[in-house]
Amino acid sequence: MTTDVATADVPAAAPDERLAYRGPIQRLLVQPEIGALLGAISIWVFFWAVTVPFGTAIGTANWLDVAATLGIMAVAVALLMIGGEFDLSAGAMTGATGILVILLVKDTAGGGAGLSLWIGIPLSFVLALGIGWFNGTLVERTALPSFIVTLGAFFVIKGAKLGFAKLFVETIQVGRIDEGAGHDFWRKIFSSVWTRNDHIFNSRDTVYVALLVVGGVAILLGLLELTYRRRASFNPGGLPIAGIGAAAGLVGLFALHGTEGTGANFIWSIVMGAGVLIGAYGIALWRFEPNPDRGALQLPGGLLRPAGLGTGLVILGVFFGLILDSAPALKPDRTVDTIFFLLTEQGLRAILFVGLSIVGLVLLLIAASRARNFSSTSGTVVSIYTAIVVTVLAFIIQSESDAPKFRAELFSVLLLVALLMATWAVVGLYFEQRRFPDEAPDRLGRVLAIAGVVLASVGVVFRLLFTTDSELPTLVGQTQFRVSILWFLLSAGLATWVLARTKFGSWTFAVGGSKSASRQVGVPAARTKTQLFMIVSAAAWLVGMLLAFRLQTIQASTGDGKEFEYIIAAVVGGTLLMGGYGSAAGAAIGAMIMAMSFQGIPFAGWNSDWRFLFLGVILLLAVMANNYIRKTAEEAS
Amino acid sequence: MRKFRWLAIVLAFTRVAAACGGDGDDTTSTGATQDTVDLTQGGDLTFHMVTHSDDGPFWSVVKRGMDDACAAVGVSCVWSPSVNTPEKQVQDIDAAIAAASDGIAISLASPDQVGPAAERVVAAGIPLYTLNSGLDFYKALGAVTHIGQTEFVAGQGAGERFNALGVSHVLCARQEQSNVGLEERCAGLADTFSGQVTSEFGGLDNDIPAQEAAIAAILAADPSIDAILGVGPPIAISALNASETAGRGAAIGGFDLTPEILDAIETGTIAFTVDQQQYLQGYLPIIFMFLQATNQNTAGGGLPILTGPGFVTSDNAAEVKDLSAQGTR
Repeated sequence: MTTDVATADVPAAAPDERLAYRGPIQRLLVQPEIGALLGAISIWVFFWAVTVPFGTAIGTANWLDVAATLGIMAVAVALLMIGGEFDLSAGAMTGATGILVILLVKDTAGGGAGLSLWIGIPLSFVLALGIGWFNGTLVERTALPSFIVTLGAFFVIKGAKLGFAKLFVETIQVGRIDEGAGHDFWRKIFSSVWTRNDHIFNSRDTVYVALLVVGGVAILLGLLELTYRRRASFNPGGLPIAGIGAAAGLVGLFALHGTEGTGANFIWSIVMGAGVLIGAYGIALWRFEPNPDRGALQLPGGLLRPAGLGTGLVILGVFFGLILDSAPALKPDRTVDTIFFLLTEQGLRAILFVGLSIVGLVLLLIAASRARNFSSTSGTVVSIYTAIVVTVLAFIIQSESDAPKFRAELFSVLLLVALLMATWAVVGLYFEQRRFPDEAPDRLGRVLAIAGVVLASVGVVFRLLFTTDSELPTLVGQTQFRVSILWFLLSAGLATWVLARTKFGSWTFAVGGSKSASRQVGVPAARTKTQLFMIVSAAAWLVGMLLAFRLQTIQASTGDGKEFEYIIAAVVGGTLLMGGYGSAAGAAIGAMIMAMSFQGIPFAGWNSDWRFLFLGVILLLAVMANNYIRKTAEEAS
Repeated sequence: MRKFRWLAIVLAFTRVAAACGGDGDDTTSTGATQDTVDLTQGGDLTFHMVTHSDDGPFWSVVKRGMDDACAAVGVSCVWSPSVNTPEKQVQDIDAAIAAASDGIAISLASPDQVGPAAERVVAAGIPLYTLNSGLDFYKALGAVTHIGQTEFVAGQGAGERFNALGVSHVLCARQEQSNVGLEERCAGLADTFSGQVTSEFGGLDNDIPAQEAAIAAILAADPSIDAILGVGPPIAISALNASETAGRGAAIGGFDLTPEILDAIETGTIAFTVDQQQYLQGYLPIIFMFLQATNQNTAGGGLPILTGPGFVTSDNAAEVKDLSAQGTR
């Protein structure tokens, strides 16, 4: 390719690319956790497709339980790794803190100190922080690699667990925590269980749908605010159109919710879809500047190649996916080993369906977002084309598939994707995108988008937590959600906030990037690193409490060897091994990926002998995808 | 207890003085690494017990058997646990050979890796005994006898118990992925059980919540499973919890004895446990090696000496529980 042709393909450069405004989607794509998120979605869809219980509340409670303890640690370990250090004693510490608190509160006759839990729990927390402080101080004072120092700490803790257990209780199983005063209260804090079957809420689905719709609309409005250029003065002429659209959307939605028949569903879906489209157009007309230059349609090879490839992959993927719903894959069949399942007709189809269709869709989306750089018309054409591809395939699935979850759930999700793309495309044609930051709409857009995500998530949680009378007879077992999941979400949220919004968070990135440089600009490097080690030990303490109150008795070897799982989860979540880059939310998603991979295999009923091979492949793919997406997104922006 | 006092002082807590037993347990060795019991009446004999022990509740009883036997006959004994690491077990066996041991007892959980080291023991002219795992290999390796439970027979016994319980589909949940003995237990179960048997890895013992979740997932995937055999003590409890969490009420069988399993058998939530009386597996090899060294006796007559299976059910749970609390069952 000659230089002339190459430059002709590239749109005119912005005055200063560092100041150029990047749209919400590009900004999302350069987040460290985005690769992990896509990986998590792929794995979820894969197991949702090939097993019966995985996508249900039973399956969700199950893999979230595994993700919770792993994730609490992974989040803390990710902070430490961003700060440029490792802690190999983190796994052993989870068991050690559990044993410690039990020894503190156990009856004196049984070898414990006989304290109340009201003293034992804070005391064990302080002692745990002491371990972290010791690790951090030793690393700082000796300037040895933390890998070596904490490896030593690992052996010390492992030996101390065993030695003290034998010394005080004369067995390697230390129990029981219910000998401590205040057990009933603290058990509620650390080991509550929410039994779904006991919580009947018959309007659950109405609340669920309402929250999803309101959340979805908020996200759409937020993205519009973040993407388009606001008018100097609003045009009230857009409001009636927005109103008509909203009314049509609501009518369609309520009608859909009340009907069962396929024919009526179809009509009301169209009404609802049209309502969304018109409503979005009306709102854009009211608030945003019209597009001064739609540009001519340009479809260079840089667009046609990914779009064509994406279309082909989606078609192939869905073609293979169609056969997924035939009965054998949905019943556990232990005569087929996991690895051979993946090579059987059924298994290959499962992989091809998930892999090809997701890669294909991502390619189409990339093409659509690139197209906008050539001209608005190009962007709209490619987006509408993508929407049509998705719609057509949704209907093929609907007409060909036998399994209800493909016919109903997958069908409606795909239609929704198509609708949103079409809406986006239409707005993009008639209105002008911003190329500069604008404070007021930026803030409003962020608030709307975040509120939308929160509302939609609450809706999903609602659906998972409650059961309805009509569902009860069909449930094969009960579903129990453990409070550890809540602790996990709190830890992940807190760590994400600390990293993004506090001075300590900035210091963490600084000391991990370059310790000497950060010190020269005034970052208290030694203190920051020591505090990071203390965060890890605090997380280990939390996991220790969760284990102690759940199991009552803790075995001395508990947690030994888990430290690498935490590091792996952090790396899968986009944290770099060498420090200075990463994300707490990503580590949480990494923990979910590992938990889903672990639990998906027994849910699928595959022979567990291949479990680690399968896990290894998934982890490699996740890290590679993560890397690829980040690099691509960074180049594109 | 003396070593505990610093903590007691720190906490300003005086009741602690009554905490542990006296100092009379000095002969009982503790700790994960090699430690010795040295009384003088048995002369200068030293025996080595090199096992794949993981310091779990099961092996602490074996070790107690070894300690008691060594104290009884007055010999030095070295306990070398390798925590399921064949490489370490091989090194420990070679170290025992180099130390000119008077008798070596090994477990053969990984016969292919550890077998050559066992042959070196025999080649060095040191009496070799196998215990716990290795029934199919002891003779070929030249060991005097094997002291243990036939894993397959133990599994067969469990299968007959499940037949009597009238269940139709048993999940055989294993806590290790490549342990010959555990696979044999499941194979024995499949041999005698009249219904369907599914043998699966159910997660490691060092992460009990994950173990429970894995078993719950297998249950959710297959509604026909109505019984679970946990082939180790913690995994049997995990099976019970998973079954209760899922509201399935499966019949549970376990292997070996722990306070938790005995409690559950007493209350009826676990139907039975297979007891291989592992105290004998620690005690008998020392006695046999002592008699061979001092009296030229060879026990077993070329056949293995079985220590099980015995079964603990609600009928005898209370008595066994008392003995278990003393650390010998």
